Amino acid sequence: MTRDPRAFFALDIGGATVSAALIIRIAGRWRLLGSLALPAAVGPVAVSRHLAERAVHADPGLASAAGIDPSQLDRVPSVTVRSHAPRRMAVVAASQRALGPLAGAAARSGWSVTAGSVEALDPLAMSQLLLDPGVDAILAGAGDPPGADERSPLPELAALVAAVAERRPDLTVILAGAMTDELPRFPDAAGREGEILLGAAAGSGTDARGLDELLTDLALPPDDARRAAAIGVETFAEVVGRRVEYVEIGYDAGMRAIAGPSLGRDERDRRAAFVADAALVPPGADDLILDRVLGWSTLPIDRHRLRDRLRELRSAPWADAGGDGAMVRLAAARAALGRLMDATLELGAGPAPDLLIAAGGAWSVAPGPVIALAVADVVRRAGATQYAFDHARLLGPLGSIADPDERAEVIADLADDMLVPVGSVVTPAGLRAGRSAGRLVVHAGTGVTELDLVPGGLELVDLPPGQTAVAEFRFRDTVRLGTRGRHFAVDVAGGLGGLLVDLRDVPMRLPDRHERRRELLEAWQSSLWTGHEG
Amino acid sequence: MTIAAGAASGPLPAGLDLVAERPLLASAVDLRFTLAPGDRLLVDAGTDVSVGTPLAERFRDTVLAEGRLPPGLGSRPGDRWAPPPDTGRRATRNLAEGELLFEWRDAWRIATGEHAEPLDAPIAGIVRRARPGVDIALRATGRVLLGDAALGGPSRGRLELAAGPGGELRPGGLDVGLAGTVLVVGSRVDAETLTRARAMGVRGVVVAGLPSKERRDYIASEARQRAALHRLPPFAVFVLDGALRRPIASPVVRLLEALVGREVAIVNDPPALVFDDADLDLPLPPADLVRVRSGPDAGREGRWIGLVGLRRFGRGVQLEAAEVRFADGPAIVPIGDLERFAGRPGTAQ
Repeated sequence: MTRDPRAFFALDIGGATVSAALIIRIAGRWRLLGSLALPAAVGPVAVSRHLAERAVHADPGLASAAGIDPSQLDRVPSVTVRSHAPRRMAVVAASQRALGPLAGAAARSGWSVTAGSVEALDPLAMSQLLLDPGVDAILAGAGDPPGADERSPLPELAALVAAVAERRPDLTVILAGAMTDELPRFPDAAGREGEILLGAAAGSGTDARGLDELLTDLALPPDDARRAAAIGVETFAEVVGRRVEYVEIGYDAGMRAIAGPSLGRDERDRRAAFVADAALVPPGADDLILDRVLGWSTLPIDRHRLRDRLRELRSAPWADAGGDGAMVRLAAARAALGRLMDATLELGAGPAPDLLIAAGGAWSVAPGPVIALAVADVVRRAGATQYAFDHARLLGPLGSIADPDERAEVIADLADDMLVPVGSVVTPAGLRAGRSAGRLVVHAGTGVTELDLVPGGLELVDLPPGQTAVAEFRFRDTVRLGTRGRHFAVDVAGGLGGLLVDLRDVPMRLPDRHERRRELLEAWQSSLWTGHEG
Repeated sequence: MTIAAGAASGPLPAGLDLVAERPLLASAVDLRFTLAPGDRLLVDAGTDVSVGTPLAERFRDTVLAEGRLPPGLGSRPGDRWAPPPDTGRRATRNLAEGELLFEWRDAWRIATGEHAEPLDAPIAGIVRRARPGVDIALRATGRVLLGDAALGGPSRGRLELAAGPGGELRPGGLDVGLAGTVLVVGSRVDAETLTRARAMGVRGVVVAGLPSKERRDYIASEARQRAALHRLPPFAVFVLDGALRRPIASPVVRLLEALVGREVAIVNDPPALVFDDADLDLPLPPADLVRVRSGPDAGREGRWIGLVGLRRFGRGVQLEAAEVRFADGPAIVPIGDLERFAGRPGTAQ
């Protein structure tokens, strides 16, 4: 990208979707002219051409001024990122205790993980696990220093892994923690196609974050859409001066990133996790995944039929997107978001972000307010957060702009165009059951709205996009809303869904009986879904 | 892999390039056969194999053995160990044949097995890669119809049509006269029919959709047979489209009709039907033919009319849409629901 062109395409080529956004420079700033997303099999060229043709058709003068000619699209530059199917990492350790943190590190670094320990697998099963033709890399690790349960089996495990490394020179092998002491057992790295790398022990310290970064670097190629999106989120947070969380549910994986403005510090405030298991429908989805989707389903559907529909959703993610298919997709998206949250608990330890951005094809069929509700259903934490949707899938491509200043300039120009504000969600925690928890008064430019706060439900206040308001909460008892107290005044911003006051439990408690649970979820969802009955 | 590219018969109508293209045929496909530690590899990379050539022996009950090998053998992990007949060392003589896994404290851990099952080449080709305990990659010389999934297999037999594209084969429709065939059974099939077909010597089944329940029941049935140490005859299920019921796509039907009476093979990785087509003349699908891939109208086929832009569908969902002329008249369909067929059958690269 350079500053010279008057227009460029931002292309995000995913596993299921190819998305093109046409960005033009007008009146001295970059603006989003339009975007189009279609099945990945269509390809970026056809999608870009149709987008350009639509731009010309809609406003020939503007398109001409921006230098857009559908017959000469190769003259229009583009920034392109791609999502890649996760590669498989076999994670092995001497004990089940040591295996957990290692497998967790690999799972949040973009790898599809199979794991086993000496404690659970005999050498034959362990060899089979490592020699599986689908495995692309091996992570063998131990604590540093190794625990008492690891010291004895560690050398034999190292001998087994070294033998596999000799047989499969294409595999990348990472030795972590005390396993690095076993490096002399391994074949000379010079004669191998795959590298043998050393990493820190898995855990929660600063060194462990180094292992996460090493695994992420190996998992995601330089042009990876999610890697770029993490940079895009960091730049966006810096530009808008707010703490931003980004959750993406995609065809191949899910991603969560949290970034805040640096406020003049040298240290960057950005953490990101890439979770293959948080794909909308992971390949070979098992009963656990099925149960979780069933738990969020608003359709009366049995396990067998739901399993069939998930299989179809996996094999043809763009098909059957309307009608009941949209319901299945949203249930799968909630379940995937739940898996993403479970895999990234340490990222959610801080306060609620100012802005939460939802992204990914999983949400594309739902109206904005329903996206806000679906995320709020799963991301349960006390606080007030504005929700937005990355509708044109821009954060990935824009995050790939190499020059930080240019990237910041483009993102600053596009900040108002690139996100659809879907609403503000205020979630107090610690409400006592009863008829009324207190009163809410919303002071907006158009007037004042008063509401009774009924625990266990959702309250909606109409607040259009672009409008701001002050929501004044007066609770009968002390609650948590960022801090503990009874009286709060919260600045809120409008969106397609307005202000959503979420008075349900934190964490959410839903009825065990499936029918009752489904009715409750359906009631909440239908209150926000215009045309839902159609 | 080479996918047959380009349009079907005639130029592509305007807007049709926004419909996902489904490759009808592919060639130069590497087929993979997974091996487990202990399995005996019988071919090397670069070997030309014909149909029925033994590729490997798979062992059903592999166990771990441990023993010291005679010094000076220079054994490496993955090597095959067989006790030499003239050794006088009892420890070595008693050590079973198997695959060397790794050396630990001067002794080798060896994967050794019983109840060998042959893995024969279901197709002719060239072995591109042969890794003991890992896999064999075979470059097929024939052409390949790719599908959604394949269960069991590999298997090979004479292709026969047992039901129409939208039909269904029931257990009563099977008899021993169908032994040795690969049956095209239409839109769906149940586990009972599959189990019975296998018992009658049918070599495979080609079906448009296989529901998850039937898939699980069939896999469970096969697992029970294996647990009982019955040697299973070669049998495979080739699923063309997915889990839901829908008719087989008409271009695929034309292809399968042209293959009737010929030998075909079903392989698992990638899930595919492989055939040798040296003298096969296949009709081209019309360039404007589109098919509803999924959803309530799955399997319907029609002719492309054109793009209509964003339209509102069930539950108020707005989707890019197109107008398609079906047999009962034109209708608006989301583009994401549609597929078109690529390639010129018979002239694939």
